[in-house]
Amino acid sequence: MKIPASGVVFILISAAFISVLAQFGFFMPEQFVKGSANLSRFLAEAFPPDFSALSKTGEALAETVKMAFAGTLLGFLIAFPIAIFSARNLFPPAVVYSARFTAALLRTVPPLLWAIIFVIIVGLGPLAGTFSIALYTVGYLSKLYGELFEGTDPEVLEAVKGVGATKPYLVRYAVIPEGANAILSQLLFMFEYNIRASSILGFVGAGGIGFQIYVYLQTMEYRNLTAVLILILGIVLFMDFLGGLLRRRFLLA
Amino acid sequence: MSSEPPFNLRTENVWFGYQPDECVLKDISLALPNGSFNMVMGASGSGKTTLLKVLGGFLPHQRGKIYLFGEETNHPLPGVLRARIGYIPQQLGLVRSLTVLDNVLMGALSRCRSFSTLLGFFPKKEIEHARMLLAQLGIAHKAGEKIIHLSGGERQRVAIGRTLMQKPSIILADEFVSDLDLKTASEILSLMQQIGRKDHVTFLMSMHELQLVKEFNGSVIVIKDGNISGACPSNQFDRAVLEELLR
Repeated sequence: MKIPASGVVFILISAAFISVLAQFGFFMPEQFVKGSANLSRFLAEAFPPDFSALSKTGEALAETVKMAFAGTLLGFLIAFPIAIFSARNLFPPAVVYSARFTAALLRTVPPLLWAIIFVIIVGLGPLAGTFSIALYTVGYLSKLYGELFEGTDPEVLEAVKGVGATKPYLVRYAVIPEGANAILSQLLFMFEYNIRASSILGFVGAGGIGFQIYVYLQTMEYRNLTAVLILILGIVLFMDFLGGLLRRRFLLA
Repeated sequence: MSSEPPFNLRTENVWFGYQPDECVLKDISLALPNGSFNMVMGASGSGKTTLLKVLGGFLPHQRGKIYLFGEETNHPLPGVLRARIGYIPQQLGLVRSLTVLDNVLMGALSRCRSFSTLLGFFPKKEIEHARMLLAQLGIAHKAGEKIIHLSGGERQRVAIGRTLMQKPSIILADEFVSDLDLKTASEILSLMQQIGRKDHVTFLMSMHELQLVKEFNGSVIVIKDGNISGACPSNQFDRAVLEELLR
């Protein structure tokens, strides 16, 4: 009996999946038994959350949101032209590959490492965090937007080209409006992601709530840590709600 | 000796293939007099869409000559010529998230190239012209609505509005009424013919419905396997002629 190609792929992926899980100890129940005892001890120490320290951490949390906001927008402004240049339906291969290489390079470095680099360049504080968030955002948004722009309906491009529109007008009147929904969705998702990401940048002195989280972890003040995490969750949920409002207000029904 | 009528669009032995060893269009020679109303018929895959795209300068022909307004042209078309050819694709190519007025105003992009246009601000006279066209097309009351909220017939009118906004001398349209019921399609085509007569625009449109073709005064070009198999005035065209030309 001949197995179809899709079946072979399925078997190979399944085999790799099970082998990796086994390698990491997924099938060793004793590890989970021991771990669950540790978890219950941790949960007992982490609950109920202690909100008394929030007056102290509130400012740091606000700084985290501000860093995420400024970093996301800065990253968006840089990512947008890179994404345009990386769309094969708009530019020749040499331009496209240069833009894609730039995006890949920026994406390779994780935000925490960017934060260390910027702490070295601009010193301790939220500016380093903002730059690191911005560069990470550039790496991701330029890839996502590039793929989005490349998927613009060819008939729309042809029709707008057909009226005699040159490239900047083609981008303005066909590519951006056609992708508006996804542009906003991905930007809001990136902002939400960056709020979470920027909450650990303080580990390396790049501003925000991260330093406080680091201190709570080191001093085992888990109840305070839980309170901070709940607050971050609240902010993320609020962002989600705000994003929904924006989508309904500005985009397609 | 009679003088040859002026042709906006003329081709001599044009060949085209998407691959080097493929011939989608074979030895196409045609001449469309200024202000004429021409319809292309043929089976699916016979090369109608490709013919319109080659004539509109979207695809490069490999052999033969294309003359637009008396000048031989090559791919890509220079901006000046591009602006004089209106093109309506089969699915219309409208930008769904923009309003009717925005879509129509796009037709003015070839003559309104400024920073303010890039920001979305068109000169007042262009906005007035767009509104006047929408009124002519009977959809002035829809100017502020987004395309996604329009019916099929209204969308067709917007696509015509955008093309007319270009002030073209030639309009190429690819089966753009094929999704409409016969009555609406007939209304849209009448409108185009009226406008064409008034502004002396040359039309070339691929069509599907024999009944519609017979209704309009113009000429019919039949295409089979990428080759023009015949042409005749639409008032002499019927199923028997079509079958004969497609045999």
